[in-house]
Amino acid sequence: MRRAPRLWTLFALPGTTWLIALFAIPFYAVACVAFGTIDPIFRDAVPQWNPMSWDFTQASQTLASLTSGPLRGVAIRTVVYVFCAMVISFMIGFPIAYFLARHSGKRKLLFLALIIVPFWVNYLMRMLAWVNLLSSDGLFTRFMRLFGVNYNWLDGSPITVVLGLVYGYVPFLILPLYATLERLDWRLIDAARDLGANSRQAFRLVTMPMSKAGLVAAGILIALPMFGDYYTNDLLSRSPSTEMLGNQIDFFLNASSQPQNGALLVIVLSIFLLVLMSFYLRSTRQQARQTTR
Amino acid sequence: MQRRDFLRKLAITTGGITVGGSLLAACGGGSSTTSDGLSIGTPQNPIKLPVSTDPIADGLANESGTLEILNWADYMNPESIAAFETKFGVKISTSIYDTEEAAVAKLRNGTFKPDVILGMTDTGLAKLIAADILQPLNKSYIPNFGNVISGLRNPYYDLESQYTVPYFLYGNGIGYRTDVIDKSAFAQNGYEVLWDTKYKGRLAVLDSYRDTLAMAIFRNGGNDANSSDPDEIKKAGEALIEMREAVNPKVDILGYQEIPAGNRDIQFLWSGDMFTAVQYLPEGVDPGVLGFWYPETTVTKNDFMCITKAAKSPVLAHQLINFLSDTDNALLNREYVGYQPALETITVDMLLASETIPESLVDALVTPEKYEIGLAQVTLEPEVDALWLEQWTAFTAG
Amino acid sequence: MINRLRGRRTSALVYVIWGYIIWSLVPVIIAVIYSFNDGRSRTVWQGFSFRWWWQDPNASVFQSSEMRNAIINSLVLAVATLLVVTPLGIALAIGTQRITGRGTNLVQGLTSAPLITPEIVVGAALLITFTRLFTAVPLGFTAQLLGNVTFSLSSVVVIVRARLVSIGPSFEEAARDLGATRWQALRFVLLPMLWPSVMASLVVVFATVIDDFIITSFLSAGVSSETVPLRIYSSVRGGATPALNALATLLVLTSFTVLIVGLFGLSTWRKRHGERGGMRAALADVTRMSS
Repeated sequence: MRRAPRLWTLFALPGTTWLIALFAIPFYAVACVAFGTIDPIFRDAVPQWNPMSWDFTQASQTLASLTSGPLRGVAIRTVVYVFCAMVISFMIGFPIAYFLARHSGKRKLLFLALIIVPFWVNYLMRMLAWVNLLSSDGLFTRFMRLFGVNYNWLDGSPITVVLGLVYGYVPFLILPLYATLERLDWRLIDAARDLGANSRQAFRLVTMPMSKAGLVAAGILIALPMFGDYYTNDLLSRSPSTEMLGNQIDFFLNASSQPQNGALLVIVLSIFLLVLMSFYLRSTRQQARQTTR
Repeated sequence: MQRRDFLRKLAITTGGITVGGSLLAACGGGSSTTSDGLSIGTPQNPIKLPVSTDPIADGLANESGTLEILNWADYMNPESIAAFETKFGVKISTSIYDTEEAAVAKLRNGTFKPDVILGMTDTGLAKLIAADILQPLNKSYIPNFGNVISGLRNPYYDLESQYTVPYFLYGNGIGYRTDVIDKSAFAQNGYEVLWDTKYKGRLAVLDSYRDTLAMAIFRNGGNDANSSDPDEIKKAGEALIEMREAVNPKVDILGYQEIPAGNRDIQFLWSGDMFTAVQYLPEGVDPGVLGFWYPETTVTKNDFMCITKAAKSPVLAHQLINFLSDTDNALLNREYVGYQPALETITVDMLLASETIPESLVDALVTPEKYEIGLAQVTLEPEVDALWLEQWTAFTAG
Repeated sequence: MINRLRGRRTSALVYVIWGYIIWSLVPVIIAVIYSFNDGRSRTVWQGFSFRWWWQDPNASVFQSSEMRNAIINSLVLAVATLLVVTPLGIALAIGTQRITGRGTNLVQGLTSAPLITPEIVVGAALLITFTRLFTAVPLGFTAQLLGNVTFSLSSVVVIVRARLVSIGPSFEEAARDLGATRWQALRFVLLPMLWPSVMASLVVVFATVIDDFIITSFLSAGVSSETVPLRIYSSVRGGATPALNALATLLVLTSFTVLIVGLFGLSTWRKRHGERGGMRAALADVTRMSS
């Protein structure tokens, strides 16, 4: 088609309008609340709709709070938790994805199906299941007591929160990893083996470089929602010592009279994630260019 | 002054209490009647709230359908709800709020659109009035208003009770498990127990910035629950952070479930919570494991019921308030909620005689003496409120 | 192609994968089992009963009015979202795949952006928008519907676009050669061939919306717009009985039923229309991520 007929533009129009109205414009609304003024009586946000008159004093205060003030702990903790959860998720997810990609037996479909099952189980139910198991008379707690481990899992423990994040997001890592590994051209690995490399060398020098872009993309794919997660902490801990950035956003927007702080944190989070997203987009483009079967 | 009236009436019914001179000192810091548009009432400067609409007319018929209530969790007996539903042939739908600030914010932005609000206190009242969310009451629908403790019929935060009718009485203190902590631990500086590393991971404080920060002020030696001194507020915030580092507390309002369940040993909470806790004890556990320490320096107050301006069923809303102010209904309600209804007919002696109060929780009852020494907790000026919130955010952000 | 994995490594990884599957599923299975607990505890077994499913007159799933409302709200929201997002998404997929010219990249970027935006950002932005800018939209069901459609739109586009790519332009071109207009080619040739992706997106969107928490929670307006995930969340923090387990089990059963019906529908359609792939291709359709 030389010039796109107006039919296709008409097709794209309703959806695009919808996304502009309910996806793009809301970000502008967030900015208007974040960079607006404060009502003196209620200390509530007064949005400033004219970008020319945006007021950045609140923003600089929030930034200061994040870098050296009370919110610094939350910011650092969120990054640390997400990083640890990602590392553990990879340690669990990569071998499984690798096995799935390479195993061409009859069981493959069964494994795939069983791995996909957690997708279709509500995230809250999966967390609820662990809340039950980890409570003071829960099955897991009682089990661990047999080994002398007398730990209060639900009493504000960072370990519980990180492991909760892992449990919640690992399924979302395995599938993209599997997709990446499945697309690799295994003939190249066979060629390396034929040329004398042992399996470890073949893995290190051929498999890893070829799948790196896909790995990065998959990692970022679960890091993004993890950074905004707040209910994992809410369900498994609810203690200030494990407070994450998402909890602060939820608090300011839903339980306080100061939504402007929440709006500011949303903007900070979005910018941070945009940087991550640009890595993601670069990796997916790289991955698409790499040799596939 | 409201407290003195209340005490006098109760002194007559319960006999022989001296009204102390500490009353004046114990009242909260005075502040102006209006400031920046907020109508703030204090015991020293009671306020008659502005009225922008007329109350509903007399003699209207009850609406049908559903009555929407905004309430705390577990703050009305399901049996009472069922009784009201049967009596008036309607359904009741309850939305829950966890903190007062959240409730006020959601009422203002339209998330919540109830007919009746239960359990609100005067710290939220000023904002609700300024945001024009409430409607004045028509007392002809509330004959049981006469049952309310006489000292509370003309409260400082709402002279002539134009908008509110008292609901429950309570005081802030520390609930604990007697099988883990002995009463003597509170003998010295009782609040200090919350900073004791012995209870690390087994401790909690209220998710309420006014209550918990004030508690820190008291622990530091102050006695102003409405402090506007930036230094005092800051030190209270630092004390809370110190507590966080020392004992890793949880911050919620679930003490009434978690303490009886054995998941935590001690929490700074509202006195009525410990009575609610009795029901959450596992089978066969003696209520004697629940204890409460009622500090000398603490906040003691009442919450109330009010009706929103946009209520779709205002007559029913009035009926509910009247219903809950009836002595028998209030007693039934109390069986589940645990708190003390703010009714003249339900005295401490009567409660003690009913033998529903465990021995270990007698201290949790709000007696006239406790109300006398108790401090008032009023709405803060916006700038001062901002200081409090700043310290609270620093504490909860970990 | 010969599978070159050595026997030793294969058996170790098999244990790993079974270990993972057990760790992943057993907690949920235990939670389901405890929904049949006789007592109030969710952690101590006190005997088998259907008390929390339908017997208890106040607190069981089928007799508690709050839980019933939550179930109804969830189903209505999911179906309503489906009805709106499916035609919108199909049109958007077809349109964005075929438009040319300036702005195409922008539109395509806009279409993919929600996929990589965390839900909390979308939820927060929509909450602020509906309370400050588009104040005509009331919070509650309306806002939740708009929010869920926005969030699921991109998934539909991804699924449909993948199918469009694999179909290719040849069928429509053949139809046009035989005299059909562009619109007729679309309606009678392309759309029927898109049917499996429509089925797949119905399944995916239904499951996404019925499980959705953040957006639905941010845009809710009290108990009248409470869905099952919201009910579970607010109950875990206080007053939870095994009815909660039962409610969650119901949710999972619903998602699975829709999934299995969808899978069977897909593979039947494929068989009948002579496309290969069977179950595996159906699975692939349904789990299409941005990979």
